[in-house]
Amino acid sequence: MSHLVFQGITKSFGAVRALRDVSFSVLEGEAHALVGENGAGKSTLMRVLAGIVRPDAGQLTWNGRPLVLHSPRAALDQGIGMVYQEMLLFPNLSATENIFAGREVTGPFGRLRQGEMRRRTAALLDDLHVPVSPEAEVASLGAAQQQLLQIARALAFDCRILILDEPTTSLTGGETAHLFATLDRLKARGVTLLYVSHKIEEVFRLCERITVMRDGQHVGTFETPRTSPAEIVRAMVGRDLEAASPRPPGAGDSQPLLEVSGLTRRPWFEAVSLAVRAGEIVGLFGLVGSGRSEFLETLFGLYRAEKGTVRLQGQPMQFRSPVEAVRAGLALVPEERHRQGLFFNLCVSDNLLLPGENAAGRWRLDGRRERGVSRDLVERWRIKCAGTDVPPDSLSGGNQQKVVMAKWLHASPRLLLLDEPTKGVDIGAKWEIHDIVRRQAEAGMGCLVVSSDLPEVLALAHRIVVLRQGRVMGEISAGEATEESVMRLATAVRGAA
Amino acid sequence: MAPRRGAGLRAIWKTREVSTLFVLAVEVAFFTWYLLPESDRSHPFFNLDNGVLILKYSALYGIAAIGAAMVIISGGVDLSPGAVMALSGVVTGSLFVQSGQPLGIAVAGGLVMGLLAGALSAVLVTAVRLPPFIATLGVMGIARGAAFIITEGRYFDLSSRIPAGWRPFGIPADWLAPIVLLVLAVVFQVMMTGFQWGRAVFAIGGNETAALFSGLRVGRVKASVYVFAAFLASLSGIILVTVQGQGRADLATGYELDIIASAVVGGASLSGGRGSVVGAVLGTLIFGVLRNALPQIPGATFYDRLIVGVVVVVIVVVDQFIVRKGG
Repeated sequence: MSHLVFQGITKSFGAVRALRDVSFSVLEGEAHALVGENGAGKSTLMRVLAGIVRPDAGQLTWNGRPLVLHSPRAALDQGIGMVYQEMLLFPNLSATENIFAGREVTGPFGRLRQGEMRRRTAALLDDLHVPVSPEAEVASLGAAQQQLLQIARALAFDCRILILDEPTTSLTGGETAHLFATLDRLKARGVTLLYVSHKIEEVFRLCERITVMRDGQHVGTFETPRTSPAEIVRAMVGRDLEAASPRPPGAGDSQPLLEVSGLTRRPWFEAVSLAVRAGEIVGLFGLVGSGRSEFLETLFGLYRAEKGTVRLQGQPMQFRSPVEAVRAGLALVPEERHRQGLFFNLCVSDNLLLPGENAAGRWRLDGRRERGVSRDLVERWRIKCAGTDVPPDSLSGGNQQKVVMAKWLHASPRLLLLDEPTKGVDIGAKWEIHDIVRRQAEAGMGCLVVSSDLPEVLALAHRIVVLRQGRVMGEISAGEATEESVMRLATAVRGAA
Repeated sequence: MAPRRGAGLRAIWKTREVSTLFVLAVEVAFFTWYLLPESDRSHPFFNLDNGVLILKYSALYGIAAIGAAMVIISGGVDLSPGAVMALSGVVTGSLFVQSGQPLGIAVAGGLVMGLLAGALSAVLVTAVRLPPFIATLGVMGIARGAAFIITEGRYFDLSSRIPAGWRPFGIPADWLAPIVLLVLAVVFQVMMTGFQWGRAVFAIGGNETAALFSGLRVGRVKASVYVFAAFLASLSGIILVTVQGQGRADLATGYELDIIASAVVGGASLSGGRGSVVGAVLGTLIFGVLRNALPQIPGATFYDRLIVGVVVVVIVVVDQFIVRKGG
């Protein structure tokens, strides 16, 4: 049986030891999962395999022969394809152009053979059951279709090893099932799959073996039928995590902190009404595209609603900009921390203090005081970083997210809006972020959490409001909520609810 | 650089201002060596008088470069400083010579004109949301055009009304520019690194979306930067006409590129979020030295524009290399 063997792979980036003597093997034709917290080294290891990063030491062999991977091109030429979590497609080009980008079929004088490329694309997409036309412009495709297109691109050229890095982050349940069906078919054809994911359930569904990494080291390789999710999580984290903590009792019936009535902004959401009380965590659940982010952004003053009222502690409010929202005591932890939440040209300390200091109306920068405050924040929220003077790009996803949350908590808001707070965050940090949210609620803050992660919503929220296509489908209190009941509302046909 | 609070010698060395100063020192050392005279004639380049000359010559660029650096740090760019210099100078000249106003009033008039130009840029960038390149290109044309309209092709002879040996605020007239430069450089460096406003400028330049999401007053801060830049340019233009004595509409033509280049050489990145006021001032000195020394090299008279261009490219490339390595 041929193997892909990792032998003693070691890689350091400056002082950070990303990989330490990692050794294990992957059987040909199997689906092999790679799990671990952020910073565990799994992304780095896959980048070594994809030719993006050269290891300092160690060797890769495939079928007994060493793999020499100078560049991503070299890896592609040897049949190693990678599908990234972020969409690395060209939105302005068509499906065909994307699939053949960099490897176009050309005739004499380098002229493009468009017809042949289109035909091959159609055949490939058909084969993989991807419902996309070869001429479709990628920007017009949904997240799921783009993800499938990325896989098609990786498979277009005799791919023997396919690496998938968190491919289901932007996919719904149905789309994930479709993806898995495609992956099953690939397995049947003998393609070796390396599946990097945080989602333990998926890993158990798809993969025959699971390799766990922690702190750059190989912790163990387990056979799926002979292990359990708990054992995997324990190996990943090095400790036992409690399952979803029992939810603390909800607040009494004081006047609601936030009252939204009939808020409309077409085409994103219509006639949305909900309330959040002080000390309450309200989960806003819905599938991708249900208008939840736009709703939060409208509440925060980034956009104006067409209709409806928003009341804070009984007072009607209409924010013309986030400046006013912050002054009224709101905070928004945005969905895309890179684009909307962090400043990579400033140090961690500046990132942590910016909104709070700005909201407090301070004029001068007091270096010593700020250093103290940011050190405090880093300690309190357990943010792992090499000091607060570095820019945030060296932090893991989970710690970056903690920076974004900490910066808002420093501004002492009364209402915290969270948009997918644990997206792209490893399981340890996820648990810590949930804990942070619960503690804030206990201290009297109202929290509105948008999430498409059903277990997360069930674990956190006192009440769940379900949105579908911009309309409220219903509200369930924590006591009565089950995965089924919530999902039913989220996928309900309008008029039947 | 964005305000870095690292302590210790290492961090200080790493700051862009220090490395720019180092480049300046190397440049001076090079020309000192290259232009070393035979026998013991006095050194044509490395002497006090020449140094002062360079300083006085560069100061006018330097004052405007402070504004350029701030605009670039905020993520924008300003193409109007040369035109605003001319416009303010011409307005001051007109009020002083044509309307016979006292110098103080004339200067105030020139500054107000500069502020209006800055306000126009600010409105075009923040309210109309034009790309800063286009907005300031337009203001450049409008300002320059207005200057020509005011002068009707002639020029104002301010020296006719200014007594010889005039000492503004007790300083010899030709020292006015360098001293104003020094004062303003300190003031704006402190504003950029010691105040929330300055940090907001860096934040907006680094990630305007995140700045908006963080509750910063993005529109107001951006507007203020363009107004400051125009104010500085207009001040520079007024000093130019009062000290040199002539108010002409074609003054400072082409200065904007040198001013922007100085800011970039001093560490400002056109993608925003990085740069320094002090660095920009040092950048103007680097170019000042080049323009002073090159004509003293036989055969190099026509090469100065070329070498200036090469210097800008080299420094930006080195900068990218350092940033990429460290990042």
